[in-house]
Amino acid sequence: MIRVLGIGNVLMGDDGFGPFVVRVLEALYPCPSGVEFIDAGTPGLDLTPYLFGADAVIFVDTVSARGLPGEIRVYDRDAILQVPPQMRTGGHDPALKEALLTVAAAGGGPSRVTLVGAIPEWVATGVSLSPRLEAAVGPAIHAVVDALSSMGVELERRAHPLAPHIWWAAAPQNLTHPAAN
Amino acid sequence: MPRITIDPVTRIEGHLRIDAEVDGGVVRKAWSSGQMFRGIERILQGRDPREAWLFTQRFCGVCTTVHAIASVRAVENALQLDVPLNAQYIRNLILAAHAMHDHIVHFYHLSALDWVDVVSALKADPAKTSALAESLSTWKGNSRMQLTAVRDRVKGFVDSGQLGIFQNGYWGHPAMKLPPEVNLLAVSHYLEALEYQRKVNQVVAILGGKTPNIQNLAVGGVANAINLDNQATLNMEKLYQVKDILDDIQDFIRQVYFVDVCAIGALYADWLTYGKGVTNYLSVPDLPLDTKGTQFDFPGGVIMGGDLGRVQAIETFNEPFFKENVTESIAHAWYDGNWSRHPFDEDTEPKYTAFEDAGKYSWVKAPRFKGAPMQVGPLAQVLTGLALGHKPTAYWATKTLDTAGSIAKTTLTPAVLHSTLGRHAARMIRTQVIADLAQKHWNLLVNNIAKGDTAIFNEPVFPKGEQRGFGFHEAPRGTLSHWIVIRDGTIANYQAVVPSTWNAGPRDEKDQPGPYEASLVGNPVADAERPLELIRTVHSFDPCIACAIHTVDVDGNEVANVKAV
Repeated sequence: MIRVLGIGNVLMGDDGFGPFVVRVLEALYPCPSGVEFIDAGTPGLDLTPYLFGADAVIFVDTVSARGLPGEIRVYDRDAILQVPPQMRTGGHDPALKEALLTVAAAGGGPSRVTLVGAIPEWVATGVSLSPRLEAAVGPAIHAVVDALSSMGVELERRAHPLAPHIWWAAAPQNLTHPAAN
Repeated sequence: MPRITIDPVTRIEGHLRIDAEVDGGVVRKAWSSGQMFRGIERILQGRDPREAWLFTQRFCGVCTTVHAIASVRAVENALQLDVPLNAQYIRNLILAAHAMHDHIVHFYHLSALDWVDVVSALKADPAKTSALAESLSTWKGNSRMQLTAVRDRVKGFVDSGQLGIFQNGYWGHPAMKLPPEVNLLAVSHYLEALEYQRKVNQVVAILGGKTPNIQNLAVGGVANAINLDNQATLNMEKLYQVKDILDDIQDFIRQVYFVDVCAIGALYADWLTYGKGVTNYLSVPDLPLDTKGTQFDFPGGVIMGGDLGRVQAIETFNEPFFKENVTESIAHAWYDGNWSRHPFDEDTEPKYTAFEDAGKYSWVKAPRFKGAPMQVGPLAQVLTGLALGHKPTAYWATKTLDTAGSIAKTTLTPAVLHSTLGRHAARMIRTQVIADLAQKHWNLLVNNIAKGDTAIFNEPVFPKGEQRGFGFHEAPRGTLSHWIVIRDGTIANYQAVVPSTWNAGPRDEKDQPGPYEASLVGNPVADAERPLELIRTVHSFDPCIACAIHTVDVDGNEVANVKAV
């Protein structure tokens, strides 16, 4: 099983990049058998169930890295873990690294890990991406398609792409609500 | 006075910061500060109340389900909408499974290493460890062979210098006191618990459609069509999958979690005296048994000043005693103004200043009940349960105190629960009761369906004008409440008063400290560079204040351009 996991909070601006990319990905490509596209939110250690039983995992997430907002960087497992996780006060703080290490401690988890990371511009309360991150969605999808290809999975584009199901970014529909009448 | 600041995440996540003044090796004064503005409630204004739960379950990536349930309950309360029995039972099963998952993860993966020295486990004799384990439980995973394999695996990590997930522990700290055999047993259970927390979460996935964000909720019920013979709906096959998992997890919780907490409680008995803090306790009733939310399997109530004899019960989803007495103060929080208001009347206007000990120092507001700080969470759940004569809680509390007492060769009374390790014990006691009640609610659901009732949903109707509602849920970390003002069918105001706000909140306008702050006072600190003792007390609350964003730190540098609003 290969899992493509979009990580991030869709209510926090550019932090929602991962889920956004996964929604666009599934709109453009049917998910082949043996692969899962998952909008995983910000699961912390609850990522571990997605790592057990997976041969390979591709994360799409925002990254704290040197560079300009909107740049896409691709990392492997060693690069992700190069900066070790820190002692945390809250047990539920973001935990992608912790989840990888925890699964490793248990002797399971994917043999191959890829992180497609975007440098965010604007992380604050809000349901849309900054223009630079919106422009980075296409390159991120390329990176995911390439990563899958290197694992022997070729995605086939839909002849007629679906509308991406990015429900959180829709404007409030207060005028069309039945109660308004 | 020397000061310790634990502020491990100084980048954009900005989570929990703890400051403590230490004198003579003891904490004299403490501050708890949330380091990130959220204000996510503002996104909800103007939206359809029927969709609010989709957004609220994205508040936090770990506590998804609890914010979804509190939200639909708030809207149902505003409309005085009944919820069909099947929907209540299905929701209850999801909540119970989520809580068991959450408590197992908290104890083993997020806090056990505050007490368990992984490196010391290498010195353990697996045969002696196995013999010790067999004297405490009949768990199948405690064989000499398995324990040898665990020891060898940990040795492999240490020898290679790649401690992985274990590298951040305070190994060899003078406050670590377990014998090597107990450390090895705990490390083995740490690894086994990974499998069980994953397993119990499958109940949430089977009934909720998906984790971490469930899809089966609706204002007025659930979306799980029930047809026992249809593959696409909730059927007998899926119900038996759920039953099998509930059986397995109950076994683990009774045979492993129970014993481990009793042993740690007995071997760290001094931690039954530290960390008391605020002894006002608040919990709300949960696991509703009827369509209107007037009967529950878990009681809730208010205890002031630790006086269990004068508990006041919270009895229904409409309880005015709860509805009328909750306020939030921003006297010491980074918001514009200096008010204390009811959630219906609050606003969320950020105004950041520096961290000022005597002024504003946190993004977390300070919730109060009748003006008093309240401790929420499993300890409040267990104490109100004991005070209100809840038999399952009393059974497991007694069994826990007796077992820990017999290991420590002493007599333990419920008074020891007001403490750092008391919070861990209470969380385990609550988990035992949840495991039992999950079985009960599975039976209630199956029997109700067998009677021919397949109702799952009552359509909400939004009248013109304004309705106000509140919905509560006794979540793993304690009392969660959502407060909604609906105007002409759309959301006019929304506030979430979350458990970790009650516990992690700052001082209020009367300078009364919050529960984290109060509980740290009197804690010993052996080594100010490695303040393990402070971490122990803070972790005992199971802090979860800002999983709101999630950026991977790849090269340890600040993000180029982050607006903090």
